[in-house]
Amino acid sequence: MRSFGTLLKNELKLNIRNMNMVIFAVILPLVVLVILGFIYGTKLAAEGVSYTFLEQSIGALCTISICASGLMGLPLVVSEYRERKILKRFQVTPVSPAKLLAVEFTIYVLYCAVSLVTLLLASMLFWRVTIPGSLPAFLGSWLLTMVSTLSIGLMVGGIARNAKSASVIACLLYFPMLIFSGATLPLEVMPDTMQKVISIFPLTQGIQMMKATSLGLPTGGLWVPAAMMGAVTVICMGVAVKCFKWE
Amino acid sequence: MKDENLAVRAAGLTKSYQGRTVLNGLDLAVRRGTVFGLLGANGAGKSTTIECILGTRRADSGTVSVLGHDPKKERGILFQRVGVQFQEGDYQPEIKVFELCEEIACLYNCPADWRELCRRFGIGGKLKNAVKSLSGGERQRLFIVLALIPNPELVFLDELTTGLDAKARRDVWRILSELKGEGLTIFLTSHFMDEVEALCDEICILRQGSAVFHGTVEQAMAQSGCEKFEDAYLQLSGEEDAA
Repeated sequence: MRSFGTLLKNELKLNIRNMNMVIFAVILPLVVLVILGFIYGTKLAAEGVSYTFLEQSIGALCTISICASGLMGLPLVVSEYRERKILKRFQVTPVSPAKLLAVEFTIYVLYCAVSLVTLLLASMLFWRVTIPGSLPAFLGSWLLTMVSTLSIGLMVGGIARNAKSASVIACLLYFPMLIFSGATLPLEVMPDTMQKVISIFPLTQGIQMMKATSLGLPTGGLWVPAAMMGAVTVICMGVAVKCFKWE
Repeated sequence: MKDENLAVRAAGLTKSYQGRTVLNGLDLAVRRGTVFGLLGANGAGKSTTIECILGTRRADSGTVSVLGHDPKKERGILFQRVGVQFQEGDYQPEIKVFELCEEIACLYNCPADWRELCRRFGIGGKLKNAVKSLSGGERQRLFIVLALIPNPELVFLDELTTGLDAKARRDVWRILSELKGEGLTIFLTSHFMDEVEALCDEICILRQGSAVFHGTVEQAMAQSGCEKFEDAYLQLSGEEDAA
């Protein structure tokens, strides 16, 4: 545990020094929130509903940092370490692949958590956003979404041949998820078959879940998506550790 | 020789890349508490040998035992007791000297005091500097420090004094001799024959993946009939023929 703490501290410092994730996972979601806040303020999301547009968007805003961390940051840092032969250096020390991956994973969990807290605080302070639904349920669905998305990134980073192929795979995952998961286009406007296909993405399930739980909408069986995200997490993490390549 | 007196034993190591044979049935034995030098021209198979011994590369055939462990299967136990010098560039781009030392030290059960090691190797004043801002010689000394942080019984030093000035080289030799006196086994490669003469108890010269000589520096000179070790090395390694 001592080594986990020291590695985490130093790797986090290096990651922050690099600034990429500070910008994409923490500042960018806040910028989007501020823009939405100026446009919509405390307006209701639609006629006849009791929640505001911002309240409806909080879940989706939280996924910006989750996407940036899980589909860009995490796979790229792991594959870059492999390409720069930093992992090979670790191979001739007693450290286990699982511990190294856990350290990097934790760093991105922290980014997502910081983004969540800053988004909630800013929106509550400036636009009187509340969580009309259940806060614990919202946090639970956030946690599930984050962990499952990060585990996909961990798997990509763990098995990609080099940084370039990791970034290609990351893009292939990142953009369809961003466009089709309901983060940008509403899920409801897509054809039925397409909805079924993209509902495999944990992000799609996650955004729906976060929206429903935070607004207190009828959720209609959360166990299936929750189980699916859980399965994605277990499988991806297992593959990442089992198929880990030092170089 | 009994196995418990050996720090490294490799038998019948064979490795080929895309049909090209790099190691051809290589046998090696390194006695505990000695300095062993693996010599040979570039491309003779030195790096592949070290990688197969460390288990970072899988040999096509042959067996390896390091401090009585199988390096592939018992990585976690073995590398508590073995230090390896890192090659140029194998560090995180923005990392500072003390951060790199801290990161390495935290992986071991009883690491050495790396501040003291840095002082001993003359880079004690550079702890807060970025690793990439160090001079070539300072970085080289840092990599030796990193290899010694585990408090190892056995240390692998690949081209250990490349990039060092004459004074720094002498300092490194002196420290390594002291460490050997404390029981450390050293496995090194070098292109400097004065260094090999000064440090190595035994040497092995590789030529196209096979050991063409195994013994002491004096034996190498006697076998080749040369008065200077560098001449003996050039003759045995076949570098002279190539030139």
